Amino acid sequence: MENSQKKPIIEIKNLTHTYTDTEDRQVKALDSVTLDIAEGEFVAIIGANGSGKSTLARHLNALLLPDGGNCLVDGKDTLEEDNLWDIRQTVGMVFQNPDNQIVAAIVEEDVAFGPENIGVEPEEIRRRVRKALETVGMTHYTHHAPHLLSGGQKQRIAIAGTLALGSRVIVLDEPTAMLDPRGRKEIMETMKMLNRERGITVVYITHYMVEAMEADRVVVMDHGKVAFQGTPRKVFSKVDRLEKLGLEAPLAAEFAFQLRQAGGDIPEDIITDEELAEALCH
Amino acid sequence: MSLKLENVSYTYMPGTPYEHQALKNVNLEIRKGEFVALIGHTGSGKSTLVQHLNGLLHPTKGVATIDGTDMAGKKKEAKEARNKVGMVFQYPEHQLFAETVFEDVAFGPRNLGLSEEEVQQRVRDALKFVGLDFDTYVNRSPFGLSGGQMRRVAIAGVVAMNPDYLILDEPSAGLDPGARNAVFREIEELYKKRKIGIIMVTHSMEEAAKFATRLLVISNGEVILDGKPERIFREDKARLLEVGMDVPQVFKLADLLRSKGMRLPNDITDSAVLLQEIRKRKGW
Repeated sequence: MENSQKKPIIEIKNLTHTYTDTEDRQVKALDSVTLDIAEGEFVAIIGANGSGKSTLARHLNALLLPDGGNCLVDGKDTLEEDNLWDIRQTVGMVFQNPDNQIVAAIVEEDVAFGPENIGVEPEEIRRRVRKALETVGMTHYTHHAPHLLSGGQKQRIAIAGTLALGSRVIVLDEPTAMLDPRGRKEIMETMKMLNRERGITVVYITHYMVEAMEADRVVVMDHGKVAFQGTPRKVFSKVDRLEKLGLEAPLAAEFAFQLRQAGGDIPEDIITDEELAEALCH
Repeated sequence: MSLKLENVSYTYMPGTPYEHQALKNVNLEIRKGEFVALIGHTGSGKSTLVQHLNGLLHPTKGVATIDGTDMAGKKKEAKEARNKVGMVFQYPEHQLFAETVFEDVAFGPRNLGLSEEEVQQRVRDALKFVGLDFDTYVNRSPFGLSGGQMRRVAIAGVVAMNPDYLILDEPSAGLDPGARNAVFREIEELYKKRKIGIIMVTHSMEEAAKFATRLLVISNGEVILDGKPERIFREDKARLLEVGMDVPQVFKLADLLRSKGMRLPNDITDSAVLLQEIRKRKGW
């Protein structure tokens, strides 16, 4: 969803992040990255381990601050301390390990944690928690203990927590890495729904290419830089390029690539099973 | 030579309001030389089950044995028996602790009371197994390595114990495809060269299909399916979906092509084979 009139909700300009490794060397985890994310966009970020994906995610709500360049959230610079409260309400984060994100013994208290911390009125907190749990389909578990839920349910509680805080952007850092197949589907469906029906901007880091295929745009990271980006169709049909970066294309794209190499008459931009079947069995 | 569970049930916090039966009368034998993939939804009892296979938990009912020795025993034999099973936990790199790679890998063998020479040899062999050059890495801090390398150091620490059985809890979680392939190359080599028994807990149907010789599906504390992965993925798709599992992508693609009229053999389980078949059909 490109919207040229409106200002991007996230503007990353020449962002550099340097750290010192254990051998005392200066390493650039992010090397002058420039990237805009429009409000309402669903962006997937992929890349090998150490490519800078998670570092980038942590800049989006000022958990990390730039050494060079800037990160603006809804026009507000993360380098200015006065902006932090606003930025952290605008951008919610969901991490990989669901167990590390639970703070309370009852689901509704867990979801209420964020709004309580920013001083929302009790009546309003109750309203927000009810609505957030309803949105992620977890109303039934309002009074349950979060640690007894499945991985997918725990992650949905974490998502509800960001909604209760009023986040317009949700950044998820490999949210399904520890989940079973059903849990993975739950999270993907929830995020697609929030994006399409509620206009939530989604930044979704993943190693699962089938998940990234659902995004509006895929950004490929390599050694702290944006290697290339585009629609899933554009990115995933570059099978050889992805492989050079230590990534894998979806099976259908891989097959289409191999069949073309073998001289088969297959269009270049196939990425789904259905498209491949259509091309082979027409 | 086998790991055996006989009529094993396990109940967490018995006699309290939180009482929960995690395993229900499980009977299972895993032999050396088998590569078993264990799949099941969150809370299905997978973790409880593997903890019975290395003596971290003892059955509430029934008995768990290694090569005939009861793991719940207090005697020396039970302890020695438990040493035959190595366990690589989820995110094993979080358990690295020593200042150098050498010290980290040497920790286990040293606890076995081996001589310094033997320890050195074990560390050398284990690092070679996981594809890390001894001279390059021994003196480096494990914390300065990449995620994939850290995981390999952690696996080396378990390999250095020379286990007869190796339990791996989601060995590829959080790794990119390149690091994932590297870790699996080593696991396969270990399996083939040392002919040990491997039990791998995974959420990836792809990995189960590709590496395992046997698939166990757990649901609500019971083993509901047990057999060759290709047979289960082919014949029990409905049951797998019902318990929150899935079938590998290659099975889905082959099914779709068949439904569109392409004639394909029934037993395709591997993407390279499917690709060959398509080329044959299309004459490419």
